[in-house]
Amino acid sequence: MAAPADVIPRRPTLLLIVVLGLLFVLMSLSTRTRYIGETRTMFERSVMILFAPVPKTVNWVGQSLSDAYHGYLDMRRSVNENLQLHREINQLTTENLRLRQSEGDLRRLRGLLGYSEQFAMPTTMADPVLLDTSSRFKSMILDRGSNSGIEVNDAVVNANGLIGRVVLTTKDMAKVQLITDGNSSAGVLVDRTRRQGVLRGDGAVGAQLYDIPSLSDVQPGDVIMTAGIDGIYPKGIPVGVVTKAEKGQDLFKTITVRPSVDFGSLEEVIILHTRKIPNAVVRYAP
Amino acid sequence: MRWLRFAVGLLIALTLHSVLDSFFPNALAFFNPYVILVVYYSMGGNVFGAIIAGVIAGLVQDAYSGAMFGLHAFALTVCAYAVAYINSRLVLRGTMPFGACLVGAVIVNELVIYILVNILLNQKVEMFEQGMIVKTIFTCLFGMIVYLLLTLFLREEPIEATRRPAGW
Repeated sequence: MAAPADVIPRRPTLLLIVVLGLLFVLMSLSTRTRYIGETRTMFERSVMILFAPVPKTVNWVGQSLSDAYHGYLDMRRSVNENLQLHREINQLTTENLRLRQSEGDLRRLRGLLGYSEQFAMPTTMADPVLLDTSSRFKSMILDRGSNSGIEVNDAVVNANGLIGRVVLTTKDMAKVQLITDGNSSAGVLVDRTRRQGVLRGDGAVGAQLYDIPSLSDVQPGDVIMTAGIDGIYPKGIPVGVVTKAEKGQDLFKTITVRPSVDFGSLEEVIILHTRKIPNAVVRYAP
Repeated sequence: MRWLRFAVGLLIALTLHSVLDSFFPNALAFFNPYVILVVYYSMGGNVFGAIIAGVIAGLVQDAYSGAMFGLHAFALTVCAYAVAYINSRLVLRGTMPFGACLVGAVIVNELVIYILVNILLNQKVEMFEQGMIVKTIFTCLFGMIVYLLLTLFLREEPIEATRRPAGW
């Protein structure tokens, strides 16, 4: 294994000593400049500049790979987040619709409650199950009947005003004659002038106000309320608004009234258990 | 051609240095790719070439490390000279001799650095022995794997395997 002596270079040893000496000087310089604040000598800076592309490339590749990887992760996360947000939107939309429905119900029920509280009489809430406004006979079937204390001639109202009166009851249902029915009538008054009259349904979508003298002051826009003189409807329930008031052919005016209740959008109603006038009293009435 | 291969090796070592610095900032405390390159080059037995290779590789390592400039160049030059000197007398070939040279080179390298740091900066190197052992093991293992792969797939022998006439 031993090599011949003539192949062993001698001058490299001298070179080694020179190189090591130079490097030692370089280190000393580096150490000195380090202490006076300059951390890089010119030679060191030159080497760095010469080989700078390598770390820069490595850094660029690493950064690109990192960006691509994190971009992919972000994309996956975004897709999942997007799906989740879509699900949440669907849930929230459904909930929003439900809450809106509840809010509407609440507002309506609050209105009804406040309205029913102003009457010093027992009341019953009911839902209409059938509404017949197509024929001349306007009626409505409620989901409560005599079991709930509903009797014939009980007034039926909602938050907007007078609906009609109960004309027939079963144990769990009641039939209501609407004020627009051609056979219905109610004692009413003009809220502004307190002039009393009789409201009769026109069999269509409105009602006529009768027995108002021609000289009476009734104008379109006047509010009509129940007068409480017919033994059925309590006083003070809004009935409708005068839409047309003309001088009739006889001593009375021809007045058209638009009901304050929209019969096309009835939901909950209140049945007012009005105090019935005894038959004996009715018999002696004028 | 041998210098071209050395340059490619140096670029690979620097790339490895940068990659390890980027992903495992403390990795170079356990592993030194420049020593592998220098030992591989010095195994050819050309003492002059080994000194130059040690200086260049060391300066590059210095430029991209926080040590004082010239420290690693000094240590690697000593290692390169020692390995080349031994290989100029003993023809060492194969993975195991290469591993043995690496072990010696890493230890010499660490010792030289330890001494220089103590002399020039008057600083004590913390956990020197433990660091040296770990670095020796990992550098040796990695270097032997590289050598094995080069031998198997590229039929590569250490650069400058052919003896030069006396006086380089």
